[in-house]
Amino acid sequence: MSCNFTEKISLLIDGELAPQEAREVERHLLNCVECEQLRADFLNLRSQITSFETSLQPAVENHALKKILPAERRVPARGLQWGFGTQAIAFATLLIVGAIIGLILYQSSNSRGPASTQVAVQTPSPAPAASIENTEKPKQAAPQESPAPNRGTEQPTPNKEDKKTDNPRRTPKRPPVREPKPGEQFASIPERVRSADAQTMTAMHFERSETLLRAFRNVRLNEPGTAAEVSYERKRAQQLIYQNMMLGREADSAGDVQIASLLESLEPILLDIANLPAKPDEDAVRVIRERVERKNIVALLQVNSTALARALD
Amino acid sequence: MASEDEEFTMLFQDFYPSLCRFLECLLGGRAPLAQDLAQESFLQLHRTAWGTLPVGEARFWLYRVARNMAINEFRRSHTRYRLFDRVVEAMRPRARNPEQEYETQERKRLVLEMLQTLPEDQRTALLLREQEQLSYREIGQVLNISESKVKVDIFRARATLRNRWSKRVRTIGASAS
Repeated sequence: MSCNFTEKISLLIDGELAPQEAREVERHLLNCVECEQLRADFLNLRSQITSFETSLQPAVENHALKKILPAERRVPARGLQWGFGTQAIAFATLLIVGAIIGLILYQSSNSRGPASTQVAVQTPSPAPAASIENTEKPKQAAPQESPAPNRGTEQPTPNKEDKKTDNPRRTPKRPPVREPKPGEQFASIPERVRSADAQTMTAMHFERSETLLRAFRNVRLNEPGTAAEVSYERKRAQQLIYQNMMLGREADSAGDVQIASLLESLEPILLDIANLPAKPDEDAVRVIRERVERKNIVALLQVNSTALARALD
Repeated sequence: MASEDEEFTMLFQDFYPSLCRFLECLLGGRAPLAQDLAQESFLQLHRTAWGTLPVGEARFWLYRVARNMAINEFRRSHTRYRLFDRVVEAMRPRARNPEQEYETQERKRLVLEMLQTLPEDQRTALLLREQEQLSYREIGQVLNISESKVKVDIFRARATLRNRWSKRVRTIGASAS
């Protein structure tokens, strides 16, 4: 190129020229076809380079952050500042592990003993145990255990709960984990869930959870109505949480690792939303939202619910 | 401590993807390696400089360290393209439809191929300008060179790419006809 302005065109498109000089170059461009073409080519190159997409997957990004920030030092889920030291955390972990092992042993001993099964059969309970494993139960016991009105009910009052669960609490040999929280949505789910039913329920659950998380993501902060808006999400999360647990167990027992792990990562988020106070702190809402974003859970829910729906079709 | 980590998380979320992209272009593809180096840069930032750097400096620090790592990598494995990288790249899930995916990959390949023809300093300066939109002064800060060198490097990079690009287009046109 013979024109003296060529280098200045590079500066012009980068905004590195003084205003007066920029005007001068712009005037020159009106008369010089060669320089105008040069500018167009430089801008074309820019668009080629900026449109380059990285091959980064969200999971890789999350994994990288986890590697850099040790788990115990990461931002707490609900913005609370826990004052526990490492020892306390280790102790709590031991307790949890112990409880889980105890639970597994208890369940396995229970399922092996025929006597306990018989007791369970002989003692019909109005509130279902939502037990998926208890497959030996005769079919006639099922109708008594699934009171239809409970399906889809929102949080009932504590008095009602007590009445409904009076009998099952006295029932001996009922594994504590299988005991449903009374009056919750999943209380009406039949004990023996067939795999197709479970898949349908999981797909529906994913859809509902996705809707909830989207709604939660759109909650407006910095506005006086914040508390009122979150109350819906809280209620919804409370409804979904037990179904989440139940479906998680079902997926675990069916060996569906992918669904189980998704449900597992959804659980703490539902818990956090359900446990938000009546007038939540802005930070608490924001921290949960960031966590949802980081885990990319909305997209995962969408993908999985679609996949499940397709499989069912 | 929590707020520091929170700030770090925000910085990470803001710049990790763009640092990966910068490194990927600098290294001529090799996405897994670029991601490793980006992670390593953040790790170094967290371990050594986080909390001592003035606000706003962390980004420049990151790009400087990442670029040095990439140069080390050039020296270490100039001609070697790790088999592992290729395998990971081949196994990467692709969500788009095949046609769209092919087009994107072709465009990416072309951009990378063009960028690889530039000397490393010109390539870095151009990437920092075009992708990261840093000013000449900021680029000088990252690369520890003067503004006038940045100016010259970017112009030369653009002029070279323009020539190659037009040759390339002519070649494609000739082969098509």
